[in-house]
Amino acid sequence: MTTSSEIETLAKGTEIRGQWNGKSYRLERLLGRGSNGQVYLAFASPRTHCAIKIGHEAAELQGEVNILTSLDHSAKEKQPFLLDVDDAIIDGRKVPFYVMRYVAGIPLRTYLKEQGAHWMGVIGYRLLERLSRLHESGWVFGDIKSDNILVGEYGKVELVDYGGASAIGRSVRQFTEIYDRGYWSAGSRVADPAYDLFAVGILWLHALDGKRLVQLTRTLIPQNRHPSELMKLVKSNPRLQPVEEWMEKALNGRFANARESSREWREAVRVSQQPKPAGDRVPGWMAGLLGAAIVLSLTLAAIWLLD
Amino acid sequence: MMKQILLITDGGSNVGESPVTAAAQAYAEGITVNVAGVVDEGTIGEYGAAEIAEIARAGGGISQIVTSPQLSKTVQMMTRQTVAGTIRQAVNQELRQLFGVNDVGSLPPTKRGEVVKVMEEMEETMSLSVALLIDASASMKPKLHAVEEAIRDLTLSLQARTGGSRVSVFHFPGDSQYSYCVMDAGWHSNASNLGSLFGKIRMRGTTPTGPALLQVVDYIRETCGRISKIELIDEPRVSGGGSSEVRSDYVV
Repeated sequence: MTTSSEIETLAKGTEIRGQWNGKSYRLERLLGRGSNGQVYLAFASPRTHCAIKIGHEAAELQGEVNILTSLDHSAKEKQPFLLDVDDAIIDGRKVPFYVMRYVAGIPLRTYLKEQGAHWMGVIGYRLLERLSRLHESGWVFGDIKSDNILVGEYGKVELVDYGGASAIGRSVRQFTEIYDRGYWSAGSRVADPAYDLFAVGILWLHALDGKRLVQLTRTLIPQNRHPSELMKLVKSNPRLQPVEEWMEKALNGRFANARESSREWREAVRVSQQPKPAGDRVPGWMAGLLGAAIVLSLTLAAIWLLD
Repeated sequence: MMKQILLITDGGSNVGESPVTAAAQAYAEGITVNVAGVVDEGTIGEYGAAEIAEIARAGGGISQIVTSPQLSKTVQMMTRQTVAGTIRQAVNQELRQLFGVNDVGSLPPTKRGEVVKVMEEMEETMSLSVALLIDASASMKPKLHAVEEAIRDLTLSLQARTGGSRVSVFHFPGDSQYSYCVMDAGWHSNASNLGSLFGKIRMRGTTPTGPALLQVVDYIRETCGRISKIELIDEPRVSGGGSSEVRSDYVV
């Protein structure tokens, strides 16, 4: 057995013709590269976009196809995600591929940078609702990270790369170190809904306080990695303070399920949007200005009177 | 039961039998040998790199050369890939005998799903023993923290499997001229029970990779026939530790 060799990026316009189903696709550009294949944007017909994952090994790719099939079958999904599964000959080699609905969007971190952090309420809610549906059909996403969460217009959220999904109760088959519950000594690597919710907690830290999070992973020795270290970051970040309680629960595995976490997320964000009590509403600088104006006019009056 | 040896080293062997023949012997006894080469500063050298690749080839496994920070991830990936590869080989052989097709990929896509489900079931549930053999020659000293972390990390991942999984740890060279290799931890299933691994290693210059490999093969041969006995010894310690994550391999 040898490690799978990397396929080179295929040129724009390359035609992928399925040997079993006979459908063909024209490649447009590379969208991403994973451990077990490449994903391209492609045209199924001159006007229809789709995403094609070209793999190295049929059995490995079939594992992902199985997950996608099972998600499509659980009636909760409105549109099917998986469109075609086939083999093609590329440069004289037989390669397996599958075709998915194309999801337009940009990674969460980039979206927040471009559109502003005030989108976190909507995006967070949509993400947790998405995960609830996934968990309710028996799967845990596993490899939650900014790159795998694509945000489209008005904070619409899609998960990509289901290759890392694991059946609930099994071991998590794919994860990213800093998002991993085991890495932070916060629990096992058994796939359960709380595993994903922990990663969502890290996701927000990474998206809104990335520098300090990465710094923390560099300075902490392994024995000291603990959710309490992560909470120190949350508590000292004004953007994350509104969801502090939510983060505390997510990072310590205290949500019963994703639905509950989604409800509490909504509440936490909503509370932070309520107008503050009147006493707090006058900003400091305005009060200061008023004070300065009074002092100034009194001084002028005094000077005028004394003259 | 699947058996693997994972060798973590940073260079060429220089004492005793060839590590390539030792790995071939391990493979002949049903043990897959994977090799992680760790280089931090400088290069591993052409000779070292070639030897690492050849040990893995002879041992039916895979090899990769990485830096310390990548070690945890690599060790996990190699272990998982080897399990998947071993099962794939076995399943493909069945397919050849039953249906006369070469591999899963030769089946029509619609027929692959069920076969792959069975394969994944086997990957998750088959019991697995991984013996880690650590090169502790002088040049490895700065890398031992990363090695220790990789071992803990691997144990944590294996603990999450449904099937029984165990890890044992050895390092070489041994303390005296006559011991090639020393056991740091016998078969363990729980990361929290591993304790400090390399606290008291005295670093020495020689690198008897081949003889050390053979000694680990002996250990696996001796212990894998008496699995039940070892688990009985292991059990009280686990319940005493009050761990909530005792997995099926302790219970069975």
